[in-house]
Amino acid sequence: MAIKRRDFLGQMAAGSAIVTMPAFLPGCGVNQATQMATPTPENPFMTWFGVDEAVITRVMTELTANGADTADLYFQHQRTNNLSMEDGIVSRANSGISQGVGLRVVIGEQTGYAFTEDLTLESMLAAARTAAAIASGTGLVAPQAFNPKKTGDLYSIELPWADVGIDQKLPILKHVDAQARKGDPSIQKVSVNWSDSDDRVMIATLDGHLIMDHRPMTRLTAMVTATRDGETQSGYSNIAARQDFSWYTEERINNMVEEAVDRTLILFEAKRPPAGEMPVILAAGASGILLHEAIGHGMEADFNRKGTSIYSDMIGKKVAEPFVTIVDQGTIPKERGALNYDDEGNECGRTTMVENGVLRSYLHDSISSRQYKVGATGSGRRQSYQYAPMPRMTCTFMEDGPHTKDEIIASVDHGIIAETYTNGQVQIGAGDFTFYVKNGWLVEGGKITAPIKDVNIIGNGPEALKRISMVANDAKLDTGGWTCGKNGQQVPVSQGIPTVLVSTMTVGGENVS
Amino acid sequence: MSADLQDRAAQAIEMLAAAGADDAWATAGQSRDVEFNYRDGALEKVKDTTSQQLAVQVYAKGRYSSHQTTDLNPDRLAGFLKEAVAITGALEPDDQRAVTSAELFANRPEADLDLVDSTVEALDRDQRMAWCVELDGAARQHERVISATSAVYDGTQTQASASSNGFSGVQESTYCWLGANVTLSDRGERRAADGFFAGSSHVGDVPDAGEVAGTALKRALVRLDSEKGPTGKTTMVVDSRVAASLIGRLMGPAYARSVQQGRSFWADLIDQEAFSSKLTIIDDPLIVRGLGSRHYDSEGISAKVLPIVEQGVVKNIYVDTYYGRKAGMTPTTGRPSNRRIDPGEHSLADLLGAAGEGVYVTSWLGGNADGTTGDFSLGLRGHMIENGEIGRPVGEMNVTGNLKDLFTRLDAVGNDPYPYSTTLAPTLVFSDVDFSGV
Repeated sequence: MAIKRRDFLGQMAAGSAIVTMPAFLPGCGVNQATQMATPTPENPFMTWFGVDEAVITRVMTELTANGADTADLYFQHQRTNNLSMEDGIVSRANSGISQGVGLRVVIGEQTGYAFTEDLTLESMLAAARTAAAIASGTGLVAPQAFNPKKTGDLYSIELPWADVGIDQKLPILKHVDAQARKGDPSIQKVSVNWSDSDDRVMIATLDGHLIMDHRPMTRLTAMVTATRDGETQSGYSNIAARQDFSWYTEERINNMVEEAVDRTLILFEAKRPPAGEMPVILAAGASGILLHEAIGHGMEADFNRKGTSIYSDMIGKKVAEPFVTIVDQGTIPKERGALNYDDEGNECGRTTMVENGVLRSYLHDSISSRQYKVGATGSGRRQSYQYAPMPRMTCTFMEDGPHTKDEIIASVDHGIIAETYTNGQVQIGAGDFTFYVKNGWLVEGGKITAPIKDVNIIGNGPEALKRISMVANDAKLDTGGWTCGKNGQQVPVSQGIPTVLVSTMTVGGENVS
Repeated sequence: MSADLQDRAAQAIEMLAAAGADDAWATAGQSRDVEFNYRDGALEKVKDTTSQQLAVQVYAKGRYSSHQTTDLNPDRLAGFLKEAVAITGALEPDDQRAVTSAELFANRPEADLDLVDSTVEALDRDQRMAWCVELDGAARQHERVISATSAVYDGTQTQASASSNGFSGVQESTYCWLGANVTLSDRGERRAADGFFAGSSHVGDVPDAGEVAGTALKRALVRLDSEKGPTGKTTMVVDSRVAASLIGRLMGPAYARSVQQGRSFWADLIDQEAFSSKLTIIDDPLIVRGLGSRHYDSEGISAKVLPIVEQGVVKNIYVDTYYGRKAGMTPTTGRPSNRRIDPGEHSLADLLGAAGEGVYVTSWLGGNADGTTGDFSLGLRGHMIENGEIGRPVGEMNVTGNLKDLFTRLDAVGNDPYPYSTTLAPTLVFSDVDFSGV
């Protein structure tokens, strides 16, 4: 049976004056970028949320009734679809709609925040009054017109996920299952999870800008469980991006499945390395988790303006060898961490955190950029309309260096290669960070000798940066579905790195007596 | 409010039936949440929100799906529910799926769990600000404080559920929490930081704000001059405040789903003397004012006390209706409530004294565990135990092993269950644990 989302939206619209299926054509709004263009009710985002310019002005007036340095309305409609397959059948689906508007007033370093899921004028005004209570000055004159910014094109897609039926996705899950089972006779269980979403945000700012962004996302995960001689092991792999259905080529899917199978089967041979300090080679790609934890979070400007990060007084200082350059860049097309505009309506860009070994720039939101008197870096992100934004990473990576992967491995007498990861964490003040290595390799006498598994690695951010002694020329971004959590807010991120040698870190393991 | 939510859940069931569902479950929820953040002498953030949502589970033609929305506009909601049924029809049939059997609704407890404190709803800005000011004052009572952020969180949550086979229920609870995070200047560019939060369903049970922030400051102060400890095998004493997290790792795969999917080291442990006889874990949903207390779980299964581990013997795991059917196990509940870990007789000081030497863990940092094998490796901070007392602070260390094996070496439990968690765990002492550091 073919389920087309458009058909259902058609039904939904039948009884409603507000929701229609606006034609979200790629590049919509491009022509509205002219100065002083007046959005009309034809603006598809306004139509979607059932508001017009007069309503936004009215709510903004209420929101800034006691004064504000900045204020914004963050309208969001997110539709997610999940499908899962276990024991050979696709027998579970989940769909969700998350819709609302977040209202924020900022005065100095103070924030008032409220949201409502009821997009009637009455409810929005009530929420605006709640948020406005943070301030106690005189009211501002809200913009009478909101100038739409040019729509971004980092992840324009041909076909919105809303138009892809379950009948189209189901064969992909079946294929993943069959392909994984073919991987090895020891494979007993395969589960497959599919997820896609269309996220539409419209941000109206106090300085009269209107930002509209359609953010697609999809992720496919395979989990494999295998049993050999009474021993059971399980592993997984996933791929994620701001892409549409056409991204799922057979080759891409098969590669992902092969990874899941390989990562599982190797566990039968893998051992724990000896415990203690040793050289750690970070394999290219997912090892970008080191950058995320060891430096990325510590460079988020909210921690620094409060003085709570270990990097608070280190801008301009040498923190690493000259061949180390670390960047956070939201503008890499289609990446999971990509964003045309951040969640404050600032254009995303490229922020060099470490340039040739020198600490250069924090990741700013509007509060910190005002305090530091620097331009916004487009790093103000939020999980949803239910949260106030704060500085976050997007896609964090290290540039290529002068060495090669083979040179790096050959240089290590006794150490490990860390290859796949499940998670990481950092303690911002002390700078201690960890990441959990699911799969890796032992290196002895400059050669890879045996597989290892399940060890946590712990280090200290600035010390680990100093100890990056070799960087190869094989940088790549990981396509895994990484999600970053901070103060209870989850946002999608990407990361990448070339093969890197950290001369010493503390590796979890066993003490041989 | 709860009557409105009950109507909303009941209406959703009717609408799903009209759209072709054979059976359905609906939960309508509403919450009010207020958060005050106060930093270094000034109010930093006020967040005051009311949120609503509806979640449904649909059973149609031997198929199943679940859906949730925050868009409760009546016309669009009708379309959403119609679509939910249509999506269900597009899936493959699964004969193990069925709405919770009405037998499992029977004998729902009626005892008053006292989860609602009407004074929470009456809290005003002045009271929250008074707490903030008190927290802030106590948190910054030291010359090395760089910054302290204090917070007050309070709110009310209400959920009403209904099913096509006659279930109806409402659960409501309030909460009020206070706490502070403190950052101190340490050697070089390092900062020593820690925090402490405490709360309850009742305002009257929340500890004094000055005490809470004082604890946060004390916890940060003992982190000063922390260094990496030695690599080696020794005794591990886990502080009661962070013991819940380790118990959580142990229990992570103690679910019928994990067992049926072949991803649980608990699969072979049922009815076995799997762990140290010092370990008793009881899931108890009926604790008065308990943070995880309830009359029924998310599937409507009536709450009852469920022994998970008794003196080291595995008695039960968490079994929901679906995976129970698939795995041939009787449903218990698919969701933990409160977990009581039976305390021992000795204080932390006694246990440290008895250990003589080892590592006293006061917080975890990252790490993970493999639920299939039980292999784990966790980052930690804490202190060396020196001559039976809390010694120098250490960090940047890992502890590595296998959970199944670790809990056979649980040598002692303290008399000090930590109250501000749904897992009421005391100090735990393990022997021969692998640490990596210097």
